Amino acid sequence: MTGVTLELQSVTRRFGPVTAVDKTDLAIEQGEFFALLGPSGSGKTTLLRIIAGLERPDEGRVLIGGREVTDLPPYARNVGMVFQNFLLFPHKTVAENIVFPLRMQRASRAHRDEQLKWALSLLRLDGLGGRYPNELSGGQQQRVALARGLIARPALLLLDEPLANLDRELRSEMEVEIRRYQKELGIPFIYVTHNQEEALTMSDRIAVMRNGRFEQIGAKTEIYTNPASAFVATFVGHANRISGGIADIQGDLARIEWGGGSVLAPRPGSAQRGSAISVFVKHEDMAIHGAGLNGKRPEGVNQLAGTLRDIIFKGQTANYIVALPTGDDLVVSGTPRAGVARPNDAVIVSWPIEAGACFPREDA
Amino acid sequence: MNGMSLRAASRRRPGLRFAALVAPGALFIVIGLMLPLLAIVVFSFWRTESYELYADWSLDNYRTLLGEAAYRTFFLRSLVTAILVTVICLVCGWPVAYFIARHGGRYRLLLVLLLAAPFFTGVILRIAALQGLLGPVGLINMGLTMVGLPPIEALMYTKLAAGLGLVYLFIPFMVTAIYLSLVNFNFELLEVAKINGARPWRAFIEITWPLNWIGTAIGMILVFIPCLANAVTPRFLGGPEATSLGMSLAGQFGETGTWALGSAMGVFLFAVSLLAIFCIAPTIRLKRSGFTGTSLT
Amino acid sequence: MRAGPATLSMSAALGLLYVFLYGPIGYVIYTSFAVDIVWPFPPSFTLQAYVDLFSSSLYSEALTNSLTLATGAAVISTLLAAAGAIGILRFRSRYRTAALLIFIAPLFVADLLIGISVLAFNARVLGLPGNLFSAMAANAIQGTAFGFLIILAQLVRYNWDMDDAAMVFGAKPLRCFFEITLPTIWPSLFGAFLISFILAFNNLEISFYTLGAIPTLPSVAWGSLRFGLGAELFALAALVNGFVFLVFAVMYLLMRLGIVRFGYRGG
Repeated sequence: MTGVTLELQSVTRRFGPVTAVDKTDLAIEQGEFFALLGPSGSGKTTLLRIIAGLERPDEGRVLIGGREVTDLPPYARNVGMVFQNFLLFPHKTVAENIVFPLRMQRASRAHRDEQLKWALSLLRLDGLGGRYPNELSGGQQQRVALARGLIARPALLLLDEPLANLDRELRSEMEVEIRRYQKELGIPFIYVTHNQEEALTMSDRIAVMRNGRFEQIGAKTEIYTNPASAFVATFVGHANRISGGIADIQGDLARIEWGGGSVLAPRPGSAQRGSAISVFVKHEDMAIHGAGLNGKRPEGVNQLAGTLRDIIFKGQTANYIVALPTGDDLVVSGTPRAGVARPNDAVIVSWPIEAGACFPREDA
Repeated sequence: MNGMSLRAASRRRPGLRFAALVAPGALFIVIGLMLPLLAIVVFSFWRTESYELYADWSLDNYRTLLGEAAYRTFFLRSLVTAILVTVICLVCGWPVAYFIARHGGRYRLLLVLLLAAPFFTGVILRIAALQGLLGPVGLINMGLTMVGLPPIEALMYTKLAAGLGLVYLFIPFMVTAIYLSLVNFNFELLEVAKINGARPWRAFIEITWPLNWIGTAIGMILVFIPCLANAVTPRFLGGPEATSLGMSLAGQFGETGTWALGSAMGVFLFAVSLLAIFCIAPTIRLKRSGFTGTSLT
Repeated sequence: MRAGPATLSMSAALGLLYVFLYGPIGYVIYTSFAVDIVWPFPPSFTLQAYVDLFSSSLYSEALTNSLTLATGAAVISTLLAAAGAIGILRFRSRYRTAALLIFIAPLFVADLLIGISVLAFNARVLGLPGNLFSAMAANAIQGTAFGFLIILAQLVRYNWDMDDAAMVFGAKPLRCFFEITLPTIWPSLFGAFLISFILAFNNLEISFYTLGAIPTLPSVAWGSLRFGLGAELFALAALVNGFVFLVFAVMYLLMRLGIVRFGYRGG
């Protein structure tokens, strides 16, 4: 296989009774931005540490650039890493921190200086080389950590929630920047995060991880619009869940009966009549209308009647919280237009049938 | 095993690296401290005759130790002195440590180091310094004589002088231990208690004291144990009325050469020290002490 | 903020304690320069006590022995304590608590007991006469415990992930230690060395029993004190105090500057 930079073959790591990483296979292509997305405890950081060599897998193999590195210590692997708390060496200046990997490789002084200059200008750190890490702002420290990770042109850069400690504004700025560096340098990045927005903004491909396994790997649009499991559907994006049983199957569609009525949804592969099922619909795929719409029932659209309970104004969007007669709440995300409805008004919520994603019920 | 797989094995098992780093020191202490203590336990059941030990197992030494009035007096004297000195150090040490930790500001490190430093001058030179002040030809009594007053008898070779000497020697331990606890104590908790209606004294009893009990307990143990076994202070400051069990023990290993009896005394003192530790240890509950590590500033 | 009566009385207690601790020391230093050591007033100064001290062959032999003893004990203590503290904090093991207890156990055994039990063990079990090496080892037991606590106090704040970072960037474990760990923790190693040095240098009871007839400064001072407080004892006490305070001044400066520059504070 050409172009494959990293390959994991059936990698497993246990901590006592807990299996942190469970028989995981993965191949990362040259030049791609890959995100490992999962809640805390899903094993994503352990997987990253296995790739770095900081943890040893109990089973399986790790290959970097076609070379088996499973038994190699971290210092023999030629990977770069950016850590969550940056982990800059506090007793070394910015310049000393950045050239550290080159010094470990015994690069010549001239090469070191040249690369340092390149890294400082790439990351807009000119003039800060003589400072100590504690004299830098959070964003600057982040850039130094990136420079240190990139300076030795590693085969692969690992990023462990690098933006978790930055404030919101800085974070969105850095998201764009990190993606730009990755595209400029062509080094594959593996980016661990529990923040779906980060993963969606920056990466080309995403693996959603849970309990040490990949729930789904794919292009980010694929993951977002076509989730492979109930977990992915709830974890990526914001979705409403309607749980019920299949009352009828009509070709590709299933009619789902539940306490509040019936809705149509694409039929999940193996589902039979009577099986318990959940339909997930993203907040922004739903629309809200005044109750005057009554009677009209356009083809291919589900409709539910309810009462508007509250409007959460968010600026660009607003979340309309609609209480259904069953007591369930639906959240509809839309542009905040005055006058659509007021709290306690009767409203209709609608969504296209194909926007619903159906999975067998997990909580049953 | 070649180098590579050895390294791989140690990477797999952090236990190996733990052992490699910790074992030398731990073994050193076990061999250098525990084995000798075990040796005197054994010797305490033996017999000495004209400076030689004979392995005739018996409880004679302990019978002598507990049976003879002189030894009982020595022991009780040591015990009462140690308890009193510990209490005095506690009462004097707490306000001082509290003041430094609370109000020392940027000088608190300096203040506490100045309190700890005298300890490191060594027992004998500190006793010498104290004698220069308290002794029969020391500053105080000479001064009194000069102005025509009688010297203060109570300070010359008495139990009081010996006790004062012990406080002088060991109060730095107490202050340092309490201070180390207090610098890790979050004084804002007191504000919370006050806002919730606790008066200062009540806040101290409910919050400060229990959260700093661990440092206090360690300080008490660190003062009690050396006081209990002290031999030098009563010898030079105490006079004939102050002979302690430690002094007598030192004599068994010195002039009289009755090592077996001396060993029994050592075992006895060690047992009492352990008893003190076992009495105080259950009162220390790390989970309730708010222990989060240590800091010196 | 106005100081309340409680604060005022606590500061008074602090002042009194300083007077109590430093009165005798100050008096000794003053008197060591006095012509008449019994009633050194009005002041008249001489260096005779120091001249006598330095010309005494007994004291100079004792000084050499004390220095050798203290250096050996301090080297052993620092190495063992540093390795132990790093091992306990860095690597998980179910023996962690046990190891911690062993390392601090010597703090809870009185000097006299260490002295006589090592004497009994050496003489009767090993058949060794008193010698400098067993005295070094016996002093190092206590030094290891003190050094361990000092190093532990700084090391608990050290972030071991830094070593992971260095390793990912190509540093081997030994390189890691010298490039990353040591520059951060050396003040505590130095402090452990100094403290165990001073402890062994000034120790009476452990050294006395393990050395046999070999004189050290504290044992010579002990012998001399039996015959009363001589002028040379004043001079010796003054010198040792001066030395201890010099060491503490160095440590103070290290902690003031050292913690600011070297201590790892998270960010």
